Amino acid sequence: MSRSNHSTVERRTLFRWHSERLLPYWLLAPAVVVTLVIVFMPMVQAVFTSFYDLILFRPNASKFVGFGNYVKLFNDPVFWTALWNTVIWIGLTVPLQMGLGLVAALLLNREFPWRGLARALIIIPWALPSVVIALMWRWIYDPNTGVLNDILIYLSIVQSAVPWLADPNVAIYAIIATLTWQGFPFFAVMILAGLQGIPRSQYEAASIDGASTWRQFVHITLPGIAPVLATAGLLRVIWVANSMDVIFVMTGGGPGYATHTLPLYAFIKARQNLDFGYGTAIAVTFTILLGAFVVLYLSRTMREVER
Amino acid sequence: MKFLKTLALSAALAASAAFGQAKAETVRFWYHFDNPANPMSDLVKKFETANPGIKIEAENVPWNSYYDNLYTALVGGNAPDAAMVKLFAQPRLAEMGALEPIGKQLDAWKGKADLLDNLLDLNKGPDGKQYYLPIQYVVLYLYYRTDLFQAAGLQPPKTCEDFRNAAIKLTNAPQTYGFGLRGGKGGWDQWGAFVLSQGAELKPGGLTKPEAIAANQWLVDLFQKDKVIPPSAPNDGFQEIVAAFKSGKTAMTIHHIGSSKDLVAALGDKVSAVPVPKCGNGQWTSYGDESLAIFSSSSVKDAAWKWISFLAEGKNNVAFNGATGQLTVTKSGSADWKLHERRFVEATVQSLPFARVLPQNSAVSEFVNTAWQTNMQRALTGQITPKQMMEQLQTLFAQ
Repeated sequence: MSRSNHSTVERRTLFRWHSERLLPYWLLAPAVVVTLVIVFMPMVQAVFTSFYDLILFRPNASKFVGFGNYVKLFNDPVFWTALWNTVIWIGLTVPLQMGLGLVAALLLNREFPWRGLARALIIIPWALPSVVIALMWRWIYDPNTGVLNDILIYLSIVQSAVPWLADPNVAIYAIIATLTWQGFPFFAVMILAGLQGIPRSQYEAASIDGASTWRQFVHITLPGIAPVLATAGLLRVIWVANSMDVIFVMTGGGPGYATHTLPLYAFIKARQNLDFGYGTAIAVTFTILLGAFVVLYLSRTMREVER
Repeated sequence: MKFLKTLALSAALAASAAFGQAKAETVRFWYHFDNPANPMSDLVKKFETANPGIKIEAENVPWNSYYDNLYTALVGGNAPDAAMVKLFAQPRLAEMGALEPIGKQLDAWKGKADLLDNLLDLNKGPDGKQYYLPIQYVVLYLYYRTDLFQAAGLQPPKTCEDFRNAAIKLTNAPQTYGFGLRGGKGGWDQWGAFVLSQGAELKPGGLTKPEAIAANQWLVDLFQKDKVIPPSAPNDGFQEIVAAFKSGKTAMTIHHIGSSKDLVAALGDKVSAVPVPKCGNGQWTSYGDESLAIFSSSSVKDAAWKWISFLAEGKNNVAFNGATGQLTVTKSGSADWKLHERRFVEATVQSLPFARVLPQNSAVSEFVNTAWQTNMQRALTGQITPKQMMEQLQTLFAQ
């Protein structure tokens, strides 16, 4: 009698313990299943595709080539050009967006009339669709009818119209300027939220101790928003790295290969030339590179932030 | 018993409803119109009234990604039943086994005799079968500013030398330039007028001939040395060359009758057109074709044929071309053509004798879609020489 009682209790606790332990997994399951089906399965399939010579309009000539596409890739000068362009693209865009966002956030954190309106307006570039932005800036940059050259000539800064998007030495920087303009509100809003989380008492204490505005910025503001900067920076690196819509609409990767980044090159190969084997090899290579960067960034930055 | 009766009756009703639904066929159709005025819904309405059993789902697919979408849809098994297609895509579509031959339907069709002479031959598939039904055509010619030519005491150019001289005289950089070159996407047909005219051919060894390289050098020199082309040329597409011509930035450009309405609206009598200049001993211009095709994956081929042949018939074809601004493929429609000013129709007709299409092989698709543009841009911006550009392009046509 007592024995069976004991075992029922045991079973019940076991069951409760089980269900408690399983509950998080049950709750996570829908998200995991969706991610598996729409993210991981295509990813695995892409890895497989990259081992094949697969040209979409010749489906019957498809064959397994092992690492053939990767060997071809590392011997492809366009790959190295595109890789270097990608480094410039991320390396300039994200810091510029962060810097501009920081300045904007500091300004918006001050008291001034119509501040609410300014805070709402600053989000506009971020809220516009990329294609609209790309078309808009394409016309702004247009050397024959664009407004930017008009202004520069009127102010006598340049003598003749600069072909912003047609000059291979300038085109990528012109697009970086566009993307900086588009993306800085994201940083501004995130940093503003961070700024408002810093207790006012810290500034008061510092100014009683005689700290200058600059020292207050370095020792209170920056540490206060460091976690925000780290997280927002990481998100932006990933987004900017993968974004190719603005480049595609503004130059299509040209002139020549001057604005080819790796995701764009993968897109052009796979979707325009229908060479899916080679296109996915580019995409997989880029994913590995970006993944390695993200791991490195996380391990270093998060350690800094926690300190 | 009563219950059984009801059951049988409702089953019969359901069956007839299902049967009725199967009878109403839906034809999915893809097309691309740049023009904001789109008469497609009127044409669809007219067709559906005449053919009550058929429903048309017509989708306007943006031109810049038209073929990317079409090929992907075909491979993905989600292709439309019929679509607007160009000749350069035919070899690739044929290689994919995506096209349905329409020779039999054509022979039985009353509209066949009304098609302009020679069009069906021009549109024949690489295997000699008929897959394409022509729907409109244009020919590229040279637009020029009559007022600027008159002020400079110039005649519209007949040869490449005339053309270069006129371009130099009309250039007053950075305010104005002689010629608006389309160095970005879709500019190969302008390039053809200067380079394919002088013996270059899209076949093994055809692009690296000395005369072909010299012709390409001459064109790149217009940009780099003579500076008669705006510096924006390497990134200029259709919108840019038309905007520059309308604003008076350029005095000449090459395009077809499709843009004449827009140009006349902006410039009035100050714009006219002549055939592209004769370069060396040859003259070449691009025959801009557009046809309709039925895809082999379609399950409603008969209905799809009814729809595409409807669009190629006399009045319907005129309405169709009213939107695209191009020329009708029917004799009855041509006889009474009011959509364009006479001078542009004449320039088109005068250009027909030397208008050509690109050869039909699947490397041409890559040439048109990406390779020409990338290499032309690199040559114009001095990253490679015009000779290297031709060698690069030659690799596409190696075998």
